[in-house]
This record gives sequence, C-alpha cells and structure tokens, in this order.
Amino acid sequence: MSTEEADLLVLGGGPSGQKAALEGARAGLRVMLVDREKAAGGECVQHGTIPSKTLRECAVYLHGLRRRSEGVVDINLPPNLKVASLMRRLRKVLFSYQDVLSEELERNAIERRHGRARFIGADEVEVSEPRGNTYRVRAGFILIATGSRPRRPEGVDVDHEHILDSDSILSLIYLPRSMTVLGGGVIACEFASVFTALDVDVTIVDRYPRPLGFLDPELSDGFLRAFESNGGSFLADRRTASVECDGYEVVTRLEGGEELRTEKLLCAQGRVANVDGLVLGAAGLSLTERGHVPVNEFCQTAVPHIYAAGDVIGPPALAATAMEQGRRAVRHALGLELGAEGSLVPAGIYTIPEIASVGLTEAQARERDGGVSVGRAPFRELARGQISGNTDGLLKLVCDAAGRRILGTQILGEGATELIHVAQMAMIGGLEVDVFFQNVMNFPTLAEAYRVAALDVASHRAGLRPAA
Amino acid sequence: MCNDESCDARRLSETVQRDQTLAAYVLRVSNSAAYAPKEPIVSLQQAISRLGLSVICEIAIAVSLKGRVFEVPGHQVKIREMWMHSAAAGVYAREVARTVRHNVEGAYMCGLLHDVGKPLVMQVLIDVAKKRTDRPVPAGILEGAMDEFHQALGARLAEHWALPEWVAEAVANHHDYKGANLYAKEAMITCLADKLAHWALDESLDDSDFEAEDPVIDDLGLYGDDLVRLFAYREQAIDVAASFLL
Repeated sequence: MSTEEADLLVLGGGPSGQKAALEGARAGLRVMLVDREKAAGGECVQHGTIPSKTLRECAVYLHGLRRRSEGVVDINLPPNLKVASLMRRLRKVLFSYQDVLSEELERNAIERRHGRARFIGADEVEVSEPRGNTYRVRAGFILIATGSRPRRPEGVDVDHEHILDSDSILSLIYLPRSMTVLGGGVIACEFASVFTALDVDVTIVDRYPRPLGFLDPELSDGFLRAFESNGGSFLADRRTASVECDGYEVVTRLEGGEELRTEKLLCAQGRVANVDGLVLGAAGLSLTERGHVPVNEFCQTAVPHIYAAGDVIGPPALAATAMEQGRRAVRHALGLELGAEGSLVPAGIYTIPEIASVGLTEAQARERDGGVSVGRAPFRELARGQISGNTDGLLKLVCDAAGRRILGTQILGEGATELIHVAQMAMIGGLEVDVFFQNVMNFPTLAEAYRVAALDVASHRAGLRPAA
Repeated sequence: MCNDESCDARRLSETVQRDQTLAAYVLRVSNSAAYAPKEPIVSLQQAISRLGLSVICEIAIAVSLKGRVFEVPGHQVKIREMWMHSAAAGVYAREVARTVRHNVEGAYMCGLLHDVGKPLVMQVLIDVAKKRTDRPVPAGILEGAMDEFHQALGARLAEHWALPEWVAEAVANHHDYKGANLYAKEAMITCLADKLAHWALDESLDDSDFEAEDPVIDDLGLYGDDLVRLFAYREQAIDVAASFLL
C-alpha cells in the first residue's frame, strides 16, 4: 500500500474543510482534501444549505407576492407547479456552485481525493476509494471536518419515500398535500415554513412548548404567529408514540392518543456527527457524550496537531461558523495571527420569516451583567415594512444598562439574515447605539429599524420610557 | 384484487408497481382529461393518493381487459423476460435511491421503465418485416436493433406518454449516463439498477461476479459496504420478477 505525504490533510469537503484547505494553501502548505462525496462542497452543497435555501427562495417569492397583492390578484400555486420545477433551478444553482468551488480548489493547487478516511495513527490515515483501492496519507496537520447527517430516532423508519429526512425531502418530485414535521429545531422550522408557504398543510410536532426554544422568546413567538397565520400548525408538548406508513398515508400516533394522517412525514430531530469509520481511537481521540469531537477555542483536539471544525464539533452547526472554524484552526496550527474578526459570528435561520442574531440575547445579557437596555423596532412601524407587507418583523437591540454599548441584536423578518450584518459591524467597530440615529440611512428601508430601535434605547436612557 | 373489499392501498400499489406497462398506463391515464388531475401526477404513490383506490382500480381493470400494450406473437417469452428484468431494475432503483438519499418514487419509475423501448423496437421491426416477408426476423438482428435503438425510442415513448421528464432522460441515457443533463443522478441510478437487475436474475453469478469497478459506482459515491447492502435485495428482486411467471 502506498503512502503519500501532505502538510495539511483535510477530511471532509464542506464549508469548514474548504476554508481550511484554502487557508492552508494560501499559507504555502501542500494540502490534500479527502471527501466521501465526489462532487465538491460536501453535504452543505449536496443536501444542505444550498438546496434548501434555493427551494426557500422560490417559496419566499411566492409568499411575498401573495402578501403584497392583498387579494387584489389571486396568487395561487399554478396547478402544474411541481417541486421538480422548483428544483430544476436548484440543479442549475448546484452545478454552478460546484464549478466555482472546484475551480477555487484547483486554482489553489489543493489535491482533492474521493474516498473515506480512517485513522491508523495520530499522523496517518488510510483512504479507501469507492471502487476499493486504498492508500495511506501522512500529514503534519489533520483537520477533521466530516460534517453530520440527519439523526434517525428510534421507531421512525425513514424510508426516504413516505417518511423523509432533511436530506431526502429535497428530492421530492411533487408537493404533498400534507406533511407532519417531527421536531421544533432550526431544520424542522425552516422546512415547515417553506412547505407551508408552498400551500402544503404542515403540522409540527414537538416535545417542547415553543419552536426554536433556544431563541429570544419574542422572536420564537413571532415566528410561531407568522407560521400559524400562513396556515401551519404547531402541536407543543407532544411526544411521538409511533410512525408508520399504511401504504396510503403516514400515520403518526402521539402519546395520549392523538393521531395525525399526512401524505408525507419529515423527521428533523437533530443531526449526528459523521465520525463512524474514522477510528478516532487510533489517533488517541475520543468523543463527547453527545458524540462530537471535543476541541478547544482554536478547534484543536486533545492531540495537538489534529483539529476539528464544523458540525463534527457540535453546535451551532452553521455553515458560516464552520467556515470561520476551519480558517481559525489552520491559522492556529500555523501560529498565524487569528484576528478578532472571528469572535462575533452571526447566526441566521432561514425560516419564513427569517431570523438572525448576533452577540448576546436580552436574557444572556441580563444574566451576565444584571441590567440591560433594550430597544425594539416592530417592522409595522417602518414605511418599508408596510410597503413590502413585511409587518410581522421585529428588531431588538440589546445594550448595556447605560444604554450606550451594543451587546447583541436579534431580528425576525424578511431580510433579517442580511440586516444583521449592520449590527455585527457596529459591534466589531465598537460603535455606540446612537450611531444609528445620528447618521442618515436610506428611506424607506428595513435598515431604518436600527434607527427606531436606537431611539427606543435613547428614550429609556433619557427616562422617557421605562427600560426594556 | 380490485373486487376484493379488503384490498388496501399498499397491496394495490405493490401490484401496480410490479408491472411496467400497468405503471406507465396508470400514470398516463391519471394525467388524462378523463381524470383531470389538479396537478400533474408524476408517481404511482401520488396517483393512488390523489385519485383514490377506486379510480386506480378502474384503470387497472381497463388495462387488464385491453391486454398488454405490446403484443408480439411468437416473442412472448422474450417480452416476459424483459418485464422480469424491468421489475427487478425497479426494485434496485428504489434501493439505490434510498442509499444515495435521492427520490425513491422517481427512481423506481425510471428503473421500471428504463427498457420500455425494447419491446417497441421489437414490435416495430416485426411489423415492418411482416409486411415484406413471411420469414421471421433473425434473432441476432432483433437483438442488435433493440440494443441500438431502445434508449432513443424508449425516451420518445416516455415523452409521448407524457411521463415525467426525468423518466425520459433516464430512459434515454441509462447506458451512458454522462449524456444526461439535468437528471444525471436519475440516469446514474437507473444505470446501476439495470446492471444489478441483470446480475440478480442470472443464477450463475454470485456477489463476487458483480462488476464492482464500474465507474457508475464511483460516480454515485457508493462504497463496498453500500454494495453489500444492495446485494441483499437480490432475493426480493428475484421474487418480484418471478411474479411475471405466475
């Protein structure tokens, strides 16, 4: 068996693996990237972020058109609309994106290999190609970025036909009339809101009282209101007793006797790290209780020259965060300056409406500092919000008790994942909250929400309104 | 079966799905003006769900009364072999799709119908020959013509029957999937399902005889353990195919 050498070996070609490989190549390393998928981009491109957001984009346009028409024009899905029609665009997006990724890797002389890796020592892995050929790679640094896959709860037989997971749901060839969604997390709520916007009768079943329970309650409640007003249903505090397909419908029985009958079921109850087959023990590594690779703040494992990044190290499992982790890991490995820019990473949730957050939530700030000052800007108070029919949004500016320093921002509403970067840059730049009303913003825009929220904070400061 | 009050959707669905002619016909008729579906029917599951059991039964009865689409006297053994192969390919297409987490319903249709051009080529050739001579078409010529033209004619037939576009593309490219455009994955899945079905129905072959070096395995991103799992469906594929002998 042959043995090859690399300065940096990256296992996995998703967002963290790509960024790490590029960072290493730019630093002059000989980089080899091994991915179990043949196409560039990993799960993020094949089954994750890119396809789901492309489908969402179609749903958002339809939803927005319907909302803005206010009944003047009857906007219904054309009868011949198929998911496949929507997904035809996806295929074009995918091909283009894969080309861009492949070219970028090639341009930076990154050696890309198709295969599955397993550790046979702390600095050596064995790669098995699909058709059986195997070889070894010895590397100075190794980054584990093998990503994650949908979790399969016991008792839910995901057949990818009637009972789907977040990967196979994206290859639907027609829109089902009804769908049960198991889970109330990010992936569950994203798909539930997208399919609701596409006129599918969606019911979320979750064991918790609120969907997206980790969010600021004002945002998760706002999401739930929007979801229900679009036609979706949320069954809170329910546990699933059984799921089966009777050949006609998927029958979901809940503890307590309730029964749901829907055409399809989406099981979205979390993801598990792709570590099977890596034989981490051979490298001297072990897993956390939740099955993730434990790392320090620099994404370094217990074995100093082995790093891990992305979904494989656990939450937040966001593509943007994963990219930064990959970059950070390689810079740390090479002793390069990390920069402060990675310390404030925004989170985006692509539900309809969108949700985004950066920095501390109100509850986190209160717990840490005691007092806070919170400014709110409901989108219904914005001219652009009314014009665009985007009235169910909200922007929250969380500031220190003095009402000066911005500690965090949360946004619910279309455009949230773009708008959040304004707060991110203000925070990175150390700007005070007054910057938002002391400077001119375009009118009418949704960004004006920052001005409204900042004025709210200023009014608390001036004692004109009670704080928060 | 259609007169059986205890018949459930699962049994009907399984029966319809085993027969490529019946499956294609159900899709075709489901989309016709007679049933005027509110949306295009693109899978058998969808047809059963949208139109209901009774309508599907009506269609199935109509097909049974009318006989099979292709009647080629003197070649029924060959036709039956083709049906058996197609049914086994359907089983495998479904399992390959499951393995690569692609759409199972669509893949099944592609697998089931991938060789629908073969009996058409056979029928056309025999009909043309019959007009000119009393002698039967030599078997070698028949086989050669089927090999040469079944993809193109099958795709034309799929289009004529208004089957979903991915079915037509998979039928047209299942031997050379690199020629597929938007539906390359469907073509790849069909290609592998076709090979697995040939292997499964040949009793002289065992697991080690399957061509594991085939590029389609690499292109689909399948590994040795995935193939072993697929091999395990051999018995099911044989059983489904054998139902044509009943």
